[in-house]
Amino acid sequence: MRYLAAIAAVFLAGGALIADAADDAAAEALMKKSGCFKCHSVDKKKDGPSYKSVAEKYKGKPDAEQKLYTHLTTNPKVKVDGKEESHDNLKTKNDAEIKNVIQFVLTR
Amino acid sequence: MLRQMWKVVRDRYPSRIKAAGFVLLLAASLVLIGAVLVVGGAAGLAWTETEAFCTGCHEMRDNVYAEYKGTIHDRNRAGVRAICSDCHVPKEPVALIKRKMAATFEVWGHLTGKIDTKEKFQARKAELAHHVWKRMKETDSLECRNCHDASHMESTLMSERAQARHAKMKSEGKTCIDCHFGIAHSEPEGPGPSELFPPAPPKGPGKVAEGQAPPAK
Repeated sequence: MRYLAAIAAVFLAGGALIADAADDAAAEALMKKSGCFKCHSVDKKKDGPSYKSVAEKYKGKPDAEQKLYTHLTTNPKVKVDGKEESHDNLKTKNDAEIKNVIQFVLTR
Repeated sequence: MLRQMWKVVRDRYPSRIKAAGFVLLLAASLVLIGAVLVVGGAAGLAWTETEAFCTGCHEMRDNVYAEYKGTIHDRNRAGVRAICSDCHVPKEPVALIKRKMAATFEVWGHLTGKIDTKEKFQARKAELAHHVWKRMKETDSLECRNCHDASHMESTLMSERAQARHAKMKSEGKTCIDCHFGIAHSEPEGPGPSELFPPAPPKGPGKVAEGQAPPAK
């Protein structure tokens, strides 16, 4: 019985790891489709902050998810080179997908 | 010298006509051999520019080519493509030959397995990208400008954002690769072209920027 539990645990852990990778891949695919990487890089500053710096900025903040959710769905104004521009939304209406992207960004 | 050669030919062919015929045949053969070498050489060079040639090595096929597939330079609305040689091999004759000669080191790298596993490739990915970025910074993104001419970009067809960015490119003396990196292949980790290589004055026909650039941000 204990062996069965151990084997099940291994499969679950493996599944979690693979699921993580799949979620990352799904997030990146959606972000690519939405044009995020035109202005953002994971670790370099482009027109927008790097996702590493975003993750750093929101580390430990309880309202991080909510703030980012608003950011990605309401076309807020952002400042680029001193000029105001409208920030693009994620190209999806699916909540789970949006949350997945937020998780991707917050875990860089 | 020519007199001596003619004498040798006349000794073999006393008849003037036959001697002339021999010389003519010799000249024609030399021209033919020359033509074959030139055409063969050109064909060989052209073959090394094809997608099939470049992706013949698994190091390319499984890594950078796999990253490139599906990107905008591979598939897009109009089906206009840029393949490996369009971005990585110069078209100017001298630069082209130099690049082809340098490519022999790549054959050596293939034979000695420099990046023949995914792990080895990932370990050197940044270094490889830096080589390309360095060359592009030095030539004002020459390979981009083979197809993309900033001075002929129709601003009415560009988004406002694109117009703003390209105006910034002009005023800050940037070159294409400063912002448009990680497009054909996925970005390596670490600093980008602007951070690695301080802005250089553009070489060649100054299609992009004029004069020196201010210090990068």
